[in-house]
Amino acid sequence: MKVRKEITELLNAGVITQETADRITQYYDSKTEPPSNKLVIVFGILGAILVSLGIILILAHNWDSLSRSVKTVIAFIPLLAGQAICGYTLLKKEESVTWREAGSAFLIFSVGACIGLLSQIYNVSGNLASYLFTWTLLCVPIIYVMRSSMASLLYIAGITWYACEIGYWGNSTHESYLYWGMLLLVLPYYYMLYRKRSEGNFFTFHNWFIPLSVVIVLGTVAKDVGDLMFIAYVSLFGLLYLIGNTPFIRDQKIRNNGYLMLGSLGTVGILLVLSFNFFWSDLIDKDFSEKNVFSSVEFLVSALLTLAALSLLIYQKMRQKPLEIKPAELIFLLFIGVFIIGLSSLLSVVLINLLVLGVGILTIREGARENHLGILNYGLLIVTALVICRFFDTDISFVLKGILFVGVGLGFFFANYWMMKKKRVT
Amino acid sequence: MNKTILIPAFILMVVLQLYIPVRMISYKESILTGGKEFKFRTAPIDPTDPFRGKYITLSFEANSFHVANAEEWNQGDPIFVMLGEDEKGFVKINSISKDQPVDDENYVKASIDYIVTDTMSYVTVEYPFTRFYMEESKAQGAQDVYRETARDTNQVAYALVSIKEGDAVIKDVMIDDVPISEVVKQLQEKPQ
Repeated sequence: MKVRKEITELLNAGVITQETADRITQYYDSKTEPPSNKLVIVFGILGAILVSLGIILILAHNWDSLSRSVKTVIAFIPLLAGQAICGYTLLKKEESVTWREAGSAFLIFSVGACIGLLSQIYNVSGNLASYLFTWTLLCVPIIYVMRSSMASLLYIAGITWYACEIGYWGNSTHESYLYWGMLLLVLPYYYMLYRKRSEGNFFTFHNWFIPLSVVIVLGTVAKDVGDLMFIAYVSLFGLLYLIGNTPFIRDQKIRNNGYLMLGSLGTVGILLVLSFNFFWSDLIDKDFSEKNVFSSVEFLVSALLTLAALSLLIYQKMRQKPLEIKPAELIFLLFIGVFIIGLSSLLSVVLINLLVLGVGILTIREGARENHLGILNYGLLIVTALVICRFFDTDISFVLKGILFVGVGLGFFFANYWMMKKKRVT
Repeated sequence: MNKTILIPAFILMVVLQLYIPVRMISYKESILTGGKEFKFRTAPIDPTDPFRGKYITLSFEANSFHVANAEEWNQGDPIFVMLGEDEKGFVKINSISKDQPVDDENYVKASIDYIVTDTMSYVTVEYPFTRFYMEESKAQGAQDVYRETARDTNQVAYALVSIKEGDAVIKDVMIDDVPISEVVKQLQEKPQ
């Protein structure tokens, strides 16, 4: 570990005492996962999932020659085996991450196999959503009893699928609200992971899975006033971006900070989509007075997300000295203004384009200030994407488009050259 | 975590994970053994469920009911379907209702699939037993047999359904009173 090297160096130089060195080492030891071989964990989980999926497939063959009672007994064998493995793990191998994670993964799939098989034996027509609902809920205890991150990740994936099944793919019902309650069930485990294992890979996976799941499912609340969902999504991405900048996760590597990346990519993505004419020329023709906009669920969700993001923004800025504005931080507030203008004027198209350009330039500036080549090029990519989007608009002359492309290309070249030079000097 | 909490929590988890499937079994078994049998005439297609294997989807002839006022009914709403028998012993719909019947035992819980409003208004019923699981190798054969029955009007296909207090479980799907798995098996054994 890098820290150990530093500690030895500091110790040799006489900067810290042996006692301080021990305490630092102890602190880092408590934060990282136990020294279990990562590869063993990965293959353990993979093996467990493959074996259990194989069992599901074999049983799904639906052996005609077996009687109903024999099939029923067989349905319970994987489940009992999974429970036995987990029980043994708790009693004898409690400290082994590999045993806990692999055992939990196996148990989760055998729970699914058991209820799936029973549905088959009794020809239950219940849709996939109700099946996923029972399955995921039966797996919640596994997360806490086994303290298994794999169980938690599979659970998040399961409830996301469930919500999509009901909200996007279902025919008449829109009641995916249960998802939000189900998501709450996993948060205590997430918090525990943050407190005890914030350096571990599983924490990083959660930092991606949880925001990604919310981003996917948020759209299921849309009903009649779908246009408002753009505000909801921009505010959600704003909120994620702000969460990504909180002390809770700020110090992680950027690629490990799912909140920051999803927030930023999502914001830029939506703005780019809306930088075209079509959405706004549609919006201006719409009559919102007939629909009860203010009592719609879309309005409620948008308002809640905006308020949450705004509160977090104010809280962060009050504690920040000196005050600094991150590139995509204020977009969600500005976007609401642009949206309201867009109800009566096409000026919004211009404003959105300026917003994207602003985010791009601020990102480039941040990259330059932090000496971070990745951030710098991300900013340049945002500007490039904007230019490419405008390339498709026919009402800009070829000469102007050409100049824009040449300009951005040169920008890439010089910005990177300048940064390299600066890095070499320092 | 403390083992004095962890072990009871584990036992609780195991009991819960066993209780839900066992309850499901005992409930379905009680319908199969204590329910009344009905014959629903059918016509099917053949999809796959990723977790539960191959099945044939059944649609039933007795699936629509004439209503006077279509506005009273909404798509997707739960309904109770009162069942009767025609002269050949197959199910016909006597009436539909939004409220659970108290005096009539021959009913099944279903939902409204869609509503037809034309010169005559119809409510189309979606029964909760539209899947019949087959052994993987027989599902395709079963579909072929069904197509054959649809063409050959002398053959009769129906689902044997056990119903108790409004809940239903399919017992078997029959072609001319022979279980479909038997029909497919005979066909597969027959030299081509």
